[in-house]
Amino acid sequence: MTSSATVSSFVHRLQGNPLQARLLLLLGLWIASLVAMSLLSPYFLQARTVPYLLQYIPILGLLGLGQTLVILGGGPGIDLSVGSIVSLVGVFTGALVTAGIGVWPASAAGILLGAGLGFVNGFLVNVLRIPSLMATLATMFAFGGLALASTGGRPIGGFPAEFGWLGQGTTFGMPNAFLFVLLPAALVLHVMLTRTVTGRHIVACGNDDRAAHLAGLNVTRIRVGLYMLSGVLAAIGSVISLSWFLAARPDAGRGMELLSVTIAVLGGTHIFGGTGGIPGTIVAILIVTTLQIGLQLANISAAWQLGLIGVLLIASVSRTGVFRHLLRTGS
Amino acid sequence: MAQVTGLLPPLRLVSPTATRELVLFAAILIVGAGFSLASPYFLTVVNLVQTLRAGLELAIVSAGMTLVIIMGGIDVSVGGIMAVSAILIGKSYQAGLSSWFVVPIGLASGTLLGAWNGFLTTKLRVPPIIATLGSMYIFSAIMFLVIGGAWISGLPGTLSPLVNGKVVGIPASLLVILTVYGLCWVLLRQLPYGRHLYAIGCSEQSAKLVGINVDRTKIAAYAILGLLAGFAALLYVARLRNVEINIGTTVALEAIAATILGGTSIRGGVGSLLGTLLGVVFIRIVQNGLVLVGISSLWETVIIGGLLIVVLTADALGNRNNQRGA
Repeated sequence: MTSSATVSSFVHRLQGNPLQARLLLLLGLWIASLVAMSLLSPYFLQARTVPYLLQYIPILGLLGLGQTLVILGGGPGIDLSVGSIVSLVGVFTGALVTAGIGVWPASAAGILLGAGLGFVNGFLVNVLRIPSLMATLATMFAFGGLALASTGGRPIGGFPAEFGWLGQGTTFGMPNAFLFVLLPAALVLHVMLTRTVTGRHIVACGNDDRAAHLAGLNVTRIRVGLYMLSGVLAAIGSVISLSWFLAARPDAGRGMELLSVTIAVLGGTHIFGGTGGIPGTIVAILIVTTLQIGLQLANISAAWQLGLIGVLLIASVSRTGVFRHLLRTGS
Repeated sequence: MAQVTGLLPPLRLVSPTATRELVLFAAILIVGAGFSLASPYFLTVVNLVQTLRAGLELAIVSAGMTLVIIMGGIDVSVGGIMAVSAILIGKSYQAGLSSWFVVPIGLASGTLLGAWNGFLTTKLRVPPIIATLGSMYIFSAIMFLVIGGAWISGLPGTLSPLVNGKVVGIPASLLVILTVYGLCWVLLRQLPYGRHLYAIGCSEQSAKLVGINVDRTKIAAYAILGLLAGFAALLYVARLRNVEINIGTTVALEAIAATILGGTSIRGGVGSLLGTLLGVVFIRIVQNGLVLVGISSLWETVIIGGLLIVVLTADALGNRNNQRGA
C-alpha cells in the first residue's frame, strides 16, 4: 500500500520534471550497457577498466559540455566545428612549442586561439545570422583544413615528457585530466547553469529568445559567449590530447563534432534549446565511452561503434519528442 | 491544384539567383584565365574532359541536393548512400548478375536509403541535419562491415561508355550531366511538385494550409536525392571499376558547398539548378587548377570552407532587410 503510494508520488514527481526522468532513464541505460559489455568481454569487468574508461572521457567530455551549452542557448544553435578546433589548436600549440616557447605558455596561447575561433563561430551565427549548422559546417572545413594544410598532414612531436602529467598522469588512481579538468569544469558549469543569474539567462534565451530580448537580455552577446566557451573547452580538450599523446596530430579532432552532438542530445538537451543540463551530458558521455571501450575490448569491429552511435543519435532526438508527448498526456 | 498554384506567394526566383549566376560565371572565367596563365596544362581538352569525368558524380548529387535544400532540408549522408549503393552494385556484379539487374539494384538502394532519411525527418520529426548525420554513421558502419577495409575490385566496365564514351564528338559524361539537370529542371520548374518544394521551403506551415502533402513531398525529395546518389554510385563503379573504402567521404560537403555557392538559400525557398551547376564547375576548376599549379590538395578544404564562409556572409549582409527569422 505504502510502497505503491511512494511509487505513484515518485512517478508524479518525474512527470513534473522531465529532466530528472531523462537522467534516470540514462542511468538505467548506462547500467544496461555496463552489463552488456561485461557479458561480451571477460576483461571489461576488472578494476583497471575504470581508470581506462576515465582516461578516455575528458577530451570528449569537454566537447560535450561545450556542445550542450551551445545547443541549450537555442537559436537553434549547434557547433559542428569543435573537432576542427581541437585539431587546429593542437597544431598551433605544437608549432609554438617547436618555435621554442614553453609548453604551458603555448597551451595558454592555444586556449586563447580556441576562444578566438569560438568567437568567429559566434559572430557568424549570431551577428550575421547565418544558420548555425551552415556556418559551423563551413568553419569545420576551414579550421580542419587549415590544421591539415599548414602541417602537410604530418604530426608535430617534440613535447617534453613532463608535459604528460596532465594527459597521462594519475592522482589517487584517477587520471589527472579527469580529476583536475573535467570534473571541476562540469561542476562549475552545472552550478552556473542552475544557481546563477547567467545560467538562467542562457536557459531563457533557449526557451524563447524573443521573450528574453524583451526582458532586456542581450541575447546576441550571451550566445556569442556560449560559442566562445565551446571554443575554449575544445581548446582545453586539445591540450589534454597533446599531453596524452605528446604530439599534435592535425586530424586529432576528426569525428568528434558528431560524437559531441550525440552526447549532448542523448543527455536530454533539446535540439532547439531551452531544456537540458550538465548531469545528463555526463551520463551520456559515460554511456558512449562504455560502449566504445566495451566493443573494443570484445574485439568487435569499430564499424559497430559507428552504427551504434548513429542509432543512438537518431533515437535520442526522436525520443525527446515522443518522451515529452507521453509526459504531457500523462499529467 | 490549379487554384493552389495561383495562391502561391511570389517566389523571388529571378533577380537574386540570376545575379548570382552571372557573378559565378564571371568568377569561373577569371579563375580559369588565371589558371591557364599559371599552367599550360590547364586549358587543354584532355585536362578539361578529365575534370569533367571526375566531377560527374558531384554534379549529379548536387542536382538532388539543390532540390532538398530548396525545400528547406539538408542531407549530409549522400556520401554514405553512394557508398552503400556502390557496394551493393559491386557485390551484385561479383555475384555474376548482368547490368540489367545491377542498374535497378543500385538505383533502388539509393532511393530506399534516401526515403529512409525522409522518413526520419517527417514521421519521427528528427531535424534533417541530425537525422542525416545519424544515417551517415549507420551507412558508413554498413560499408565497413560489408567490405571490411578491402577494396572491391575487378568489376566489369559495361557502363563505362556513359563516363568515357563520346557521342558525335561530345563527351558522354557531359550529356549525362545535361540530361540529369534537364530532368531535374522539368521537375523543379515545370511540374507542380517543384512548386511544392519551393512552397515548403518558403513556409512549411503555409504549404500545409494550402493543401500540400508536406510529408509525402519531403520524403519524395529525399528519395530523389537518394536515387541520384545511387546513379552516381553506378557511374563511380563504371569510372573506376572498383569500390574504394573512401568512396563518398567528401561528396556531401562539396555538394552542399556547390549548392550554396550557386545561390540556393540555406533557409530554403530560393535556388536554381543552373547556379548549382556553375557552383560545381567552379569548385572542380579550383581543385584541378590548384593541383596543376602545384599547391597541396590539402588546401582544397580550406578554400571550400573559406568560400562558403564568404558567400554565406555576403548573403547574410545582402539579406539583412528581409530576414525570415533566425
